[in-house]
Amino acid sequence: MPTLTIDNQTISVPEGKTILEAAEALGIMVPHFCYHKELGAVGACRMCAVTVHTGPMPGVKMACLIAVEEGMVVTTGDEASVAFRERVGEWLMLNHPHDCPVCDEGGECQLQEMTISSGHGIRRYQGEKGTYTNQDLGPFIAQEMNRCIQCYRCARTYKDYCGGRDFGVMGSRNRVFFGRFKEGMLESDFSGNLVDLCPTGVFTDRTFRFKSRAWDLEQADSVCPQCGVGCATIPGGRLRELQRVRSGDNPLVNATFICDRGRFGSGYANHPERPRQARQEDQTVSITAALTALETQIRATVKQHGPEAVLLVGSDRASLETNWLLQRTAKYFGCRVPVLNAHRQRHQTAQMAAFDLSERLASLQDIRSSDLVLVCGVDPLAEAPLLALALRQAVRKGGRVVVYDPRPVELPCDADRVAVSPLALQELLADGGVEGRHLCDLLSQAKNPMIVAGADLLGLAGLQNIRTWAEKTSNEERPCLVYPVLAGPNSFGTALLSLPEQDDLLTRLDSGKVKMLVCVDADPLLEAPEGERFAAALTRLEQLVVLDYLPTSLSRHANLFIPTCPPVEDSGTFINNEGRLRRFQRVLKPGLSLARTAAGEHPPREFSLDTPGSDPQPAALLLQRLIGQEQTLTELHRQLVLEQPRLASLVKLKAGEAGPRVVPAVARPQSLDPLPEQPAQTLELVVSPARYGGDLFSRYAPKLEPRKRQPYFYLHPDELQAHGLKDGDAAVVETDFGSFTLPVRSQPDMALGCVLVENSEAFPQLIPGAGLGYCVISAGGTNE
Amino acid sequence: MHVIRGIRGTFQPFWVTLRNMFRKPVTIQYPEEKQQLPERYRARLILTRDPDGAERCVACHLCSAACPVDCISMQAAEAEDGRRYGAWFRINFTRCIFCGLCTEACPTLAIQVTADFELAGRDPLKLVYEKEDLLVDHCGNNNSYNFYRQSGIGVAAPRGTNPGETPPADVKDLMP
Repeated sequence: MPTLTIDNQTISVPEGKTILEAAEALGIMVPHFCYHKELGAVGACRMCAVTVHTGPMPGVKMACLIAVEEGMVVTTGDEASVAFRERVGEWLMLNHPHDCPVCDEGGECQLQEMTISSGHGIRRYQGEKGTYTNQDLGPFIAQEMNRCIQCYRCARTYKDYCGGRDFGVMGSRNRVFFGRFKEGMLESDFSGNLVDLCPTGVFTDRTFRFKSRAWDLEQADSVCPQCGVGCATIPGGRLRELQRVRSGDNPLVNATFICDRGRFGSGYANHPERPRQARQEDQTVSITAALTALETQIRATVKQHGPEAVLLVGSDRASLETNWLLQRTAKYFGCRVPVLNAHRQRHQTAQMAAFDLSERLASLQDIRSSDLVLVCGVDPLAEAPLLALALRQAVRKGGRVVVYDPRPVELPCDADRVAVSPLALQELLADGGVEGRHLCDLLSQAKNPMIVAGADLLGLAGLQNIRTWAEKTSNEERPCLVYPVLAGPNSFGTALLSLPEQDDLLTRLDSGKVKMLVCVDADPLLEAPEGERFAAALTRLEQLVVLDYLPTSLSRHANLFIPTCPPVEDSGTFINNEGRLRRFQRVLKPGLSLARTAAGEHPPREFSLDTPGSDPQPAALLLQRLIGQEQTLTELHRQLVLEQPRLASLVKLKAGEAGPRVVPAVARPQSLDPLPEQPAQTLELVVSPARYGGDLFSRYAPKLEPRKRQPYFYLHPDELQAHGLKDGDAAVVETDFGSFTLPVRSQPDMALGCVLVENSEAFPQLIPGAGLGYCVISAGGTNE
Repeated sequence: MHVIRGIRGTFQPFWVTLRNMFRKPVTIQYPEEKQQLPERYRARLILTRDPDGAERCVACHLCSAACPVDCISMQAAEAEDGRRYGAWFRINFTRCIFCGLCTEACPTLAIQVTADFELAGRDPLKLVYEKEDLLVDHCGNNNSYNFYRQSGIGVAAPRGTNPGETPPADVKDLMP
């Protein structure tokens, strides 16, 4: 730990840190552009000049490039460095246009800030400014190349960090250009990070174009709800409209990057069909009246038919608080314990992660610095996009990634990909064989091995085997950690809250005892398999009550509907894949956006006290009102911790924090069921979430439309030929859940003996994570 | 001393009154007569046009950010040629304190003050001015400035043809 002096302040920093980082730790801001804490320094902008007074070569140096040395004396405010920075500021501004008033970066522009802090104010250069021709980079990113200061951050972000291949640097001398070879939509699933990383307005969010100024936005630290990674985000809204999402900073999880699905998939909050009014049998009622009706109905049903008659259903997209309050509500009314996740298999695998794997959970940061990652049954870009970025960082640091999956897994990095069918993967994990032993050896020999396990594809049995593998390959020096990929933002949390012996939704519905179903932020039709069985059970119910914020079909069919709020309009906690508590804070109050109520015109001239569409309330608040115990979040957390000591750090947790882990639990005894035999003449059915539209949130995100794909049955070309099918033919696939007709596509990178189909809004019938499934494919049907 | 000061205080005001009785009165008969106000008097705000006749306002929100009483609100929109303009623009003159900070903040010289101070009425809503009430048909106190010709992003004229610009770089050119 060398100790150095910067501006008369002394600090000790770890070996290898630069002067810039040491100054930052002291709170001294050295102006800089090309340095970024995740991308490192390249010394391209020459802005961070400081004067080093000691050593063999004293003088003006670039703070981002010089590693600290013992006894170093540095000044940042001396005449030489100030003059140097002012000249650099002046030359960076030589070609910069005079368009800050019409630039979306204005107000949060690093160039504005650094030009002012460098001291440059008045333009002296009388020559002409260079210009560029812009490219159309698709619906997400707008380019204005004249604003470029050639710091290379975009290329380092897009190509180096995110692994995009269709963007780069072109040209020579003062014609250096950052863009695609040809115009077109940026292909990377992380293209939106260009907006955050560009220090000036070259790349701006096209979906947010001219909507608001940064200083006008209501912003708060939040958590992305669209997968289980739990990335830190900072959503921003104005005039009751959620207008943009940008990445927050969580060094342990997402660093400073988020995926395009999270960034551009926020349309659900302002979806035109979002239900905003409580309804009772097609009659609009007030929230209070609806709650009173709900209370009366629950009491009456419990009294008449017993505690089994009312079934409360929670969800892995509802916060920890909502799910816990649901359990409390059940206790209050004397009903049986609620089902916290309608998807039985997903709930079981999440419990596996929350209890049995909790001692050996890896974080994304661990994966970024791993030297061997075994990825089993995960398509990171579809199920947990930021995991793909973490894998890329591991590879960039010299690590190796081995992928076992039936799908054509695309990764933004080099990986050893083995296409195996789900059953073969289960067999590999269970019994090993030569390949399994080889993999175990590799893991044992690695310095920092990680296993990434897809809960949807591996199921309970697969995860149990993964745990055995991790135990086997750990040694005293280092453990082998596991990163489970769960489906929802709070899958871990719901699993942790519920008791292991909890039975599943459909069994309880089919018992016939349930008369009233209350779904809170849950739609079992879209989020759980066997939708037909659920739909049949719905007809036997006397009352269907839905509390939700998405315009799902279930919310339209409810006898009693009460609107709730999405995470951006609520404060609460999610627990992510790695068992990390992630707090989100309310960004906006619910209400119809002005853009809609005024239809682009000026706001209404008459003043009124009520906001249109402001009825929805957070589900946690509704449940508290229902049981007549309204508490502050802190009080609620204190009680929750008393019941769940594993969540001890919940009380002091704040939004924007990296988030502590839950306390590990003791693993439960395991029992492995033998693998089922594959029926003859069948193919294995692989249902995967689509990259865009696989989660419920992005189905209601209009901005993501350009990235959504048509549904197909994907088969290996050999398999197509064997079944006498051609690319594009319509085919009928008979599964346990019904038969479906879709066109087929040949996909040479996938496993043999499988039919792959993506679950999305265009094909919501089959739900991922339903366990091993088999199907029979035949030509025919009409091509819809 | 007190006595002398008391006597002086009694007679001096009479002397002032007497002296002014024979001067020409400064009072003007408003509203029949209007006063000639100084050129830089700060009263009602207007939105001016550039010399080409297009709206100067680019809805950059700087005036609303500068406004100490929050009486300006607006929403920006994009025209087909890439021009940023105000979809709606509202100044609430019941709140406005005529400090003129908005005109200082305006980077395009769009918002300007006029000497029209006659802003009174019984209905406060009539003092909430929308864009059509604010937009005038002249350039205000500057007849030459056109922001989009200076901005360097090719809205008023194609890129590289505005004053002080070189033509767009050919990025595939290898000449040194």
